[in-house]
Amino acid sequence: MSTVTATVTIEDPIGFHARPAGQIVKLVKESGLEIRMGKVGGNLVKANSPLGLMAMKGKTGEELTVEVDTEDEAQAQAIIDQIQQFLKG
Amino acid sequence: MTQQVLSGLGVGLEAVTAEVFRVRQAEPLPIPAKHSGDIDAEQAKLRKAVDEVSSELESLAEKAGETSAEIFEALGMILLDESLFDSAVAQLDDGWEAGTAFVNAMETFAELLSGDPTFEERIADIRDLAKRVAANIHGIFLGLDLPETGKFVIVGEDFSPADTAQFTSAVVGVITIQGGPTSHTAIICRSKSIPAVVSCSGAKELKDGQMVLVDPVGDRVVIGGTAADATKAISFVAKSTEPVIPVRSNIGSLEDAVAAAATAAEGVGLFRTELLYLSATTEPTIERQIQSYTEILTACPEGPIVVRTIDAGSDKPVPFLKMPDEENPALGVRGFRLVRDHREFIVSQLEALEEARKASGREVWVMAPMVATAAEAKEFASLAKAAGQFKVGIMVETPSIVYEISKLKGVVDFISVGTNDLSQYLFASDRMNPNLGAMLNPWQPALIASLNQIAIESKKAGIYSGVCGESGSDPAFAVVLAGMGYDSVSSSRSQVGAVRTALSSVTHDEAREVFEAAISGHDSDEAKSLALTKLGEIAK
Repeated sequence: MSTVTATVTIEDPIGFHARPAGQIVKLVKESGLEIRMGKVGGNLVKANSPLGLMAMKGKTGEELTVEVDTEDEAQAQAIIDQIQQFLKG
Repeated sequence: MTQQVLSGLGVGLEAVTAEVFRVRQAEPLPIPAKHSGDIDAEQAKLRKAVDEVSSELESLAEKAGETSAEIFEALGMILLDESLFDSAVAQLDDGWEAGTAFVNAMETFAELLSGDPTFEERIADIRDLAKRVAANIHGIFLGLDLPETGKFVIVGEDFSPADTAQFTSAVVGVITIQGGPTSHTAIICRSKSIPAVVSCSGAKELKDGQMVLVDPVGDRVVIGGTAADATKAISFVAKSTEPVIPVRSNIGSLEDAVAAAATAAEGVGLFRTELLYLSATTEPTIERQIQSYTEILTACPEGPIVVRTIDAGSDKPVPFLKMPDEENPALGVRGFRLVRDHREFIVSQLEALEEARKASGREVWVMAPMVATAAEAKEFASLAKAAGQFKVGIMVETPSIVYEISKLKGVVDFISVGTNDLSQYLFASDRMNPNLGAMLNPWQPALIASLNQIAIESKKAGIYSGVCGESGSDPAFAVVLAGMGYDSVSSSRSQVGAVRTALSSVTHDEAREVFEAAISGHDSDEAKSLALTKLGEIAK
């Protein structure tokens, strides 16, 4: 299985808080794919855990790595765009 | 059937008869414990509890409004977080029983999240989630479980904001053993027009299923009483179309402003601005403030609008102002005292109000809360006058400022008395202490004497005077205030009509007679009954 990797930015003025974490987890669960996220250069966590995502304590302006395990690049891109959208607040 | 009378403090004017429903007190959770060795059974218990709490959350989300529903949804996802469950299973392996394991697992995450202001409230929420799961496992009852149908008078020690939010339509009356006339329960019951008797220590004896009369006008509960036993409220009959002094409304939000405009209120006597900030984690931009204020000012009932600058303290913190914990928040850095560390914020509030004043074309008066000295009043007046074209005033709620009103001549245009805080500071009685409710009764002779002195001093200094505390929502007390010489009162929105009618039923001289009757009372009961008797004579 190949992995699509991208970078997204936290634009939400409050940072990476509970609501975007919940929205991302919902999206990940619906996709049925394994998706990992983490600060650029840091450890990645499975994006199906809201607590794991919140525990990153992502701040406004910080960049995050997103990895999506899939063969379908178009689907991966759609998911990444959606995640970026959630992080706009 | 023999009747038994329990006395307390009444809230509201209507009586109601219904069955007693005693609210069960939340039980404490058991202390952390180990399980007996059957890990699979513990894991099954945990899974079942998590699922049940998850469906409870779903039903709460359905009941809640749109914004809260999103919070419940996010909490639901946290509850079902697989890494959380895995970490709880690891706790089971260490020997902890299911409830303790889940609380411990959640605590690990709570610690990871702590120290970050973004998550402060969420941490309380997720700890509460863990508690709910543990309570479910141990069959412990945590919250209110009120009937949804039928008609009940609910009886409890006192009710928190979380409790009153769950009042169903089956709650037709409320009795609290503790709590005073300014307690949260009293304020909510008044605004929802639910008859209540608070500070009723005899209510401890009430049993489920007993029929009781909640008789707020008589300040009592009658076991076995019927509607026929209810004390008649003085029915004020308006003699003129205009009240002797204007009746304004208290507001705190755009919804309040819209609703107040539908009443007969003449302007707004207290616009509490802190509600706009209490939930903001970052300081709202000046543009955002101007927009909110313009919307609200535009919606207000016709007449002047008295805006109170931010009234926050460490017990009512505004997240972005970062207020350190204090031993005695009521006596701490609150209200206008915030000017020491947050002068720019107060100035930005005044500047936003000036822009909103121009945009709305309304007459705006501004006042500062918690002013203790004439020097502070002067400081606020110069800030406010530099910021815009307002009438400028202060709240009178500390005993010290009462002695300096004469020095406010030429400094401020008006004063507005906050009777709730004035009582708290005058009687050295914490508003939040449910045992001290009786001290906060507006009919206390010392409060009446103090209010009278404030009215006299203001008049001498040529300063306009008003009252915006809860006492201004009591129709009979509003007449007493008019008798003292106050220029206006401001009431909770639901009471504007009743207060207006009371103030339209008397002349200035008659209001004076009612005040003189009240001030001759030796205790709060006597003061009230003398005033009501006088009002009864006038009505004849």
